[in-house]
Amino acid sequence: MFPLDQPLPTMFYLTLYVVTLVVHVLFMNYVLAGSAYVAWVSVFRGTDGQRPTAPAARVLRDWMPAALSAAITAGVAPLLFLQILYKKDFYTANLLLFHRWMAILPVLIVGFYLTYFLKSKRITHRHGLVRAAIGVGAFACFAFVAYSWTENHLLSQRSQVFKTAFYATSSIIYTDPRLLPRLGIWFFGAFPTMVWMLGWQLRYQRNTGQPVPGSEFKRLAVTGVVGLAMAGLCACGYLWAGPADEVGGSVIFGQSALVWTVSSLMGGLVLLIGLVWLAICPDQPTRSLALATVGSVVAILGATCVREVVRLNRVDLEPLYTQHAAAMKVGGLWVFLLFFAVNGVLIAWCFALARRKMGPLNA
Amino acid sequence: MTYYPLNDFGPVMKGMVIGGLGIFHVFLAQFAIGGGMLMCYLQWLAMRRPKVTSPAIDPHSQLFRAFLDSYFKTLVLISFVLGALTGVAMWFTTIQVSARTIGVMVDEFHWIWATEWTFFCLEIVSGYTFYRYGKGLTDRARMTLLVLYSIAAWFSLFWINGILSWQLTPALGQPGSLWANFFNPSFWPSLFFRTVVSMTIAALAGCVVVNTMSEIGREERTVLINRMAHFLGAMVVMPLLAWWYFSVIPADSRQWVMGGSIAMTLFFMVSAGASLLIGGYAVMALIKQRLYINGATATLLLALAFAATGGGEFVREGVRKPYTIRGALYSNSIVPDEVAHLRNVGLTTDDPYPLRDAQAYPNNQLRLGAMVFRDQCSVCHTMDGANALVHLAGSWTLDQKRLNFAKLQHLKTFMPPFVGNAHELEAVVQLVTWNADNRPTDWPDTSQTAPFTEIERYLEQAGTGSGLSTLPPHTNSADRLTRAATGPQ
Ligand code: HEC
Ligand code: HEM
Repeated sequence: MFPLDQPLPTMFYLTLYVVTLVVHVLFMNYVLAGSAYVAWVSVFRGTDGQRPTAPAARVLRDWMPAALSAAITAGVAPLLFLQILYKKDFYTANLLLFHRWMAILPVLIVGFYLTYFLKSKRITHRHGLVRAAIGVGAFACFAFVAYSWTENHLLSQRSQVFKTAFYATSSIIYTDPRLLPRLGIWFFGAFPTMVWMLGWQLRYQRNTGQPVPGSEFKRLAVTGVVGLAMAGLCACGYLWAGPADEVGGSVIFGQSALVWTVSSLMGGLVLLIGLVWLAICPDQPTRSLALATVGSVVAILGATCVREVVRLNRVDLEPLYTQHAAAMKVGGLWVFLLFFAVNGVLIAWCFALARRKMGPLNA
Repeated sequence: MTYYPLNDFGPVMKGMVIGGLGIFHVFLAQFAIGGGMLMCYLQWLAMRRPKVTSPAIDPHSQLFRAFLDSYFKTLVLISFVLGALTGVAMWFTTIQVSARTIGVMVDEFHWIWATEWTFFCLEIVSGYTFYRYGKGLTDRARMTLLVLYSIAAWFSLFWINGILSWQLTPALGQPGSLWANFFNPSFWPSLFFRTVVSMTIAALAGCVVVNTMSEIGREERTVLINRMAHFLGAMVVMPLLAWWYFSVIPADSRQWVMGGSIAMTLFFMVSAGASLLIGGYAVMALIKQRLYINGATATLLLALAFAATGGGEFVREGVRKPYTIRGALYSNSIVPDEVAHLRNVGLTTDDPYPLRDAQAYPNNQLRLGAMVFRDQCSVCHTMDGANALVHLAGSWTLDQKRLNFAKLQHLKTFMPPFVGNAHELEAVVQLVTWNADNRPTDWPDTSQTAPFTEIERYLEQAGTGSGLSTLPPHTNSADRLTRAATGPQ
């Protein structure tokens, strides 16, 4: 069973990679689906965003820059472990995509500023068209970044022969029939996560006396269910588009991945139940949100592990075992753990200061 | 040898790309660090009672608070967004320029990076908390957040500084301990120097922000600016710290800054000159108590600080030549221990990546030359753009080229030794000559006729070692790095 079927050092780094990637995925989902939601609202329900009846879009706009910061910061950690684990494959894909890959950085910067614009007062009073353009622009930036990570991920796992041929073409755009369905999984799958996160924020608002109608919870829950269903469809499309020998059932239901595949499916089911429950009883969101949260985290963790088993099936890690072992010996782990704990406490202190003084988190 | 699919950066040298981005990133990051300290100082001013005997707080207390909130907004909007993302960009750019370098650094220092990351998280959280809720918090809570923010920001410098200074002065002479490498000889001077630079940048940015605050008058601006000038005062120790830094870096690197390399010396002069101007102004401001700096002047001073940072970063990137990790990895991602082997088997023999523009060359020898150029010269040279081989050596005779290319590391000690066999060397010689002749469609292939025994003798004489005379002794730790860089990646 993954990751126990790897030597200790490799297992150690794989575990850290998966855990940190899950955190990245959670925040990334909030940004990706959240910005899509805001874009949708700003295009199709023009003034809705300002009415108190549309708290979801307001909260999303308000928290988008912070969530983006969190997504980026949380992305750095798996980036570190990814390099220790796979090195050459990741770097080679980066180099092959060249400007195409580097473009994610200016695009992220633009997206970041657009999220600040979206919440600034000057913009809220602007013409609907301007707001719609900014909303769609921000979402487009994040969608592009997601697309790029997926493209890079798929390219990194191709054979040396393919990479050599790709290099010779001078192309910096990688196409693959699996790319869109895979992106679809990430994109639609982001909605249920965003829904429960936002659900907790709205619940908090309601508990601190701000009006959040049940219909808003209901709308969110339905959005989450649709997202989950679409993600499932894309997953089928992905399996269908991919060459059978690479992601066939033999890998996903093989010894290494089975437990994770099952966890992921079960998690998805629990998530679905939570969301449906929320849609039916939107006025008592606590338990249904808790259920959806647990299901979602389990599903994402399971899916992330399966994703890794699939990669391990294509990339031969064995020649790298000695290097993983050497990396584990370099020292510094204790210092990291120490400061991880200390800074964790200090971060909690910051949150406490904010809560104690402010009451409603969103005033 | 690990081969990567190398890209052509057009007329710019790859090193320039890193340097160029580095300037922005370092400038913004140092702004964030100094900004934290400056805000702590102002918050303290806002809270303190000037006279112990009188219960009254500082009459300017509200002014300091108002400025702080304004300044913090700037800091968050500029430094959180651009600072953080240019940081990631630095990482990605380093991969583009030398994937092998970042690979070794990650292997060696991942826990340091991970530690830095925990501080970065704290910086983000404390910063955002202050940004969102600062106005409604008590003075004590504000101070707490600002102190946490500053500590976190400064410590991210602390950790990353260990890795960056290690690239130039790795403690290779010591057994491979992480901490010997981390607290390497240039760690402390470079940490203190950067701290002072941070304070300078923050104070100058403060002067700019003061001038954008329409709600306060000249009187009040002067009060704030005079406080900011205190931060500039730290600049007086800069020459001392610079001297300390230069006294611990390798002698050859030092020589390049002191006239050995025109470009390096020039960048250094820009940096030192700009700092001197800012320092001069600061001293005046401090002596002439009620000095006022208007928006234009403040912006100009900040631009000078940017130039100083720019010069400094180019020097820092430049003086490491011919290495990215001194003694362990050459700038062109070739490991010193591989050179001898590659002299025998050839540099390009095992390179799986073909030329992208093969049809642009009239014969196979030139194609070979182009691959050799791509694999080992293109990090620092272009053919006819920046630091172009055609401009540097185009007018040399064939024999001069053969001799000098074979002895690169002695020709200029900031170049690595030539890597590859005599045929590959001849191919580069022909490539440069062909380019200098404006790339005619017909070109003779000399792969049968060139004086290969001569070339081999030149290579023999040049040896496979570095041209530097002050390399640290080769030890366990260097071996370990070599293994890290050469192992299956
Ligand atoms: C580590 C970076 C680096 C690498 C790699 C490198 N060079 Fe250089 N080289 C330089 C620098 C810097 C100069 C100095 C330019 C100047 O003086 O303006 C230089 C100068 C030269 C000169 C002129 C020397 C003189 O005395 O005028 C030649 C010729 C040259 N390089 C050839 C090569 C060739 C051929 C290769 C590849 C086989 C190569 N270099 C690889 C950095 C490098
Ligand atoms: C809004 C911005 C971002 C979005 C929408 C996003 C989206 C994604 C997606 C969709 C994936 C999965 C790729 C796949 O498996 O097909 C992914 C993976 C990843 N992301 Fe992000 N990402 C963002 C920003 C970042 C940043 C800034 C970093 C790094 C600093 C980062 C680090 C990573 C890493 C390391 C992986 C794993 C890649 C792999 O294993 O191949 N992400 N991201």
